[in-house]
Amino acid sequence: MRRYFFNRHEWFLVGVLAALSIAITWVNPSFLSFENITDLLKSFTVLGIFSLGMFMVIVSGGFDISFTAIAQAAQYTVVALLVFRWQSAGYIWVAIVLAVLFGLILGCLNGVVIHFFKIPPIMVTIATQNLYYGIMYVVTRGDLIHDLPAYYRNFSYARIIEFHKPDGTPYGLTWVTFLWIVLGIVVALFLKYTRLGRSVFAVGGNRISAERIGFNIFLTTLFVYGAMGAIAGFAAIVDVSIAGSVIPNSIVGKELQIIAAVILGGAAITGGKGSIQGTFLGVLLFAVLSNSLTLLKIPSYYYKVFTGLVILIAVAGNALQLKRQEGKKVRVQVDQIPSGQA
Amino acid sequence: MFNKLKEFFGGATLSLFVTMVLVFLFMYLLNGGKYVDLYNIRSMASQLPIIGFLAVGMMFAMLTGGINLAIVSNANLNGLVICVALSWLTGSESLVRNDMKSASVFQVVLAIAAGIVISVLIGVFHGVMVAWLRIPALLVTLGTMTFIIGVNEAVTRGYTISGFPAHLTRIGTDNLKGVLASWGVDFPWAIPIPMILFILSCIVAWLLLNRTRFGFSLYMMGANETAAKFSGVNIMKITVIQYVVSALFASLTSLVMIGQLNSIKANYYESYVLVAVLACFLGGVDPNGGFGRLASVIIATFILQFISSGFNLMRMDPYMVTAMWGGIVLILIFGRAILSYTRRKLRRRTPESGAA
Repeated sequence: MRRYFFNRHEWFLVGVLAALSIAITWVNPSFLSFENITDLLKSFTVLGIFSLGMFMVIVSGGFDISFTAIAQAAQYTVVALLVFRWQSAGYIWVAIVLAVLFGLILGCLNGVVIHFFKIPPIMVTIATQNLYYGIMYVVTRGDLIHDLPAYYRNFSYARIIEFHKPDGTPYGLTWVTFLWIVLGIVVALFLKYTRLGRSVFAVGGNRISAERIGFNIFLTTLFVYGAMGAIAGFAAIVDVSIAGSVIPNSIVGKELQIIAAVILGGAAITGGKGSIQGTFLGVLLFAVLSNSLTLLKIPSYYYKVFTGLVILIAVAGNALQLKRQEGKKVRVQVDQIPSGQA
Repeated sequence: MFNKLKEFFGGATLSLFVTMVLVFLFMYLLNGGKYVDLYNIRSMASQLPIIGFLAVGMMFAMLTGGINLAIVSNANLNGLVICVALSWLTGSESLVRNDMKSASVFQVVLAIAAGIVISVLIGVFHGVMVAWLRIPALLVTLGTMTFIIGVNEAVTRGYTISGFPAHLTRIGTDNLKGVLASWGVDFPWAIPIPMILFILSCIVAWLLLNRTRFGFSLYMMGANETAAKFSGVNIMKITVIQYVVSALFASLTSLVMIGQLNSIKANYYESYVLVAVLACFLGGVDPNGGFGRLASVIIATFILQFISSGFNLMRMDPYMVTAMWGGIVLILIFGRAILSYTRRKLRRRTPESGAA
């Protein structure tokens, strides 16, 4: 059978997105403007980058709560170092490299503990989230860092496609959004065409078979959690460049929303199933939802009501569909196999 | 003697108990006399029930391999429902400028009942979604958590609502001595009411888990759901009761919370969801279901409370407590792994004793 770019669940998401967009455009035509869409994409870039790492973790059958704490710690440490100590190394790429390394180390630590102590990942990462976040807060005393050097702001303002409005204000597709999409494509290709990437799906699908085929489970676990950490580090720098200041509690607490986006995108929480396209659509759905509330002038208090409803409906719809498929399955009664034949 | 103790508590509980004593002694060494003076003990005893209720409520969900992420938002919603009911009963102008102080005892009881009804409904919803639609509890409760927080925010519009009647806040702040004195009985010990509620609810929970068909079915479902189903356990019924019990613990939390904070908001104690999971894990509840003792979970909440009270007394950053909570779980993971490793090694060396 031919594989299409979108599977059934993803077409469903596309349909929901299209319906939402049409409804909103009808009420407020400014929704479908290039400016609004690129702004929207930019404001959900951080969530989108996080979701790429989370996607890999969930596909491998794992779970990670600590990545927001990793991002927060990486953000604070790197920015503080570059602003207060190593001013001469003040380039955005230095910040990104340092944050990615920082995240990679903390993420690998998660992976090592999860693999060697055989503890459910949700427990390990709740513990490490408390640990990383607590230590960061104790060390920094929760001070904000304002007045960042210009290169952070410039990073998020740089546009790859730029237009000007009549009054001269620029708008267009930003580099950070572009990087998110490129990273998504890289992750998708990596998962599809490399041995390590395939092993992520294999381990998530059936751990024991994957081990017997000869995949190195430790390497996969280490890769998945390390990549999550590294991606969290990158997202942290994108976040600070968009927000313009370091607020030590700005990221922690969003982890469940990011997990929800990945689940909404069709990744199975039990592992082994999911696609990057779906994850992208899941993030997009959240973005359109939040934007539509703004454009329809619904108070922002209601944002989470709708988010929760969307999660519940999506999850329940998926479950109902599964239940129906189960019902259609032909049940074959297998007779007891005579002892000689087996 | 030791073996008997071990038999009664179970080996894991005993080691946890030792950990608790060690943590207590360590905090005592760091803080000196003020750690064990009456004031601190009393404040610990009134703070502990909040973690305790949440942890025990979480434990009920985790015994079948589920989880209840909505437990804290459920507690907040429960408080808000009490608030809405009270301001409606007293004919207040709005939630923020309310007239709740004038509520009578009967009205307070009605409002609490309304809160309990909402919690039970949430529990039933969770149970039905998990048992009938077979959605992982993590996803169901993630959805309801977001939804409930949204409802809370929409109702409060970001305000903190205060002005509760004294009959209600007494639940969280008063002690047994005060309550009995108002009834004309002289009682020597000023045990905080939250602690009494906690002890009573733990007794009920223990009876439910260890002396009823429901409790037995719960453990059985956690260990092997298919086997439980074929031995005649009504999965649907048990799951619904399970999440209702979990929600009722959220209800209790909200009563204590309202009293101690004298206000309610969209998301008080939001970070305690994960702390409750942590407490259960520390207490040896298997996240895949089937195993977990109530006594261990209670001891685990004591450990967490001892740490947080100790660091508070030392005027440490509250986030130091967060770090220590994470740290102690990791230390315990390492400890258990090393212990089982050495045990295996020893067994290998003396095959005649470890034939099993």
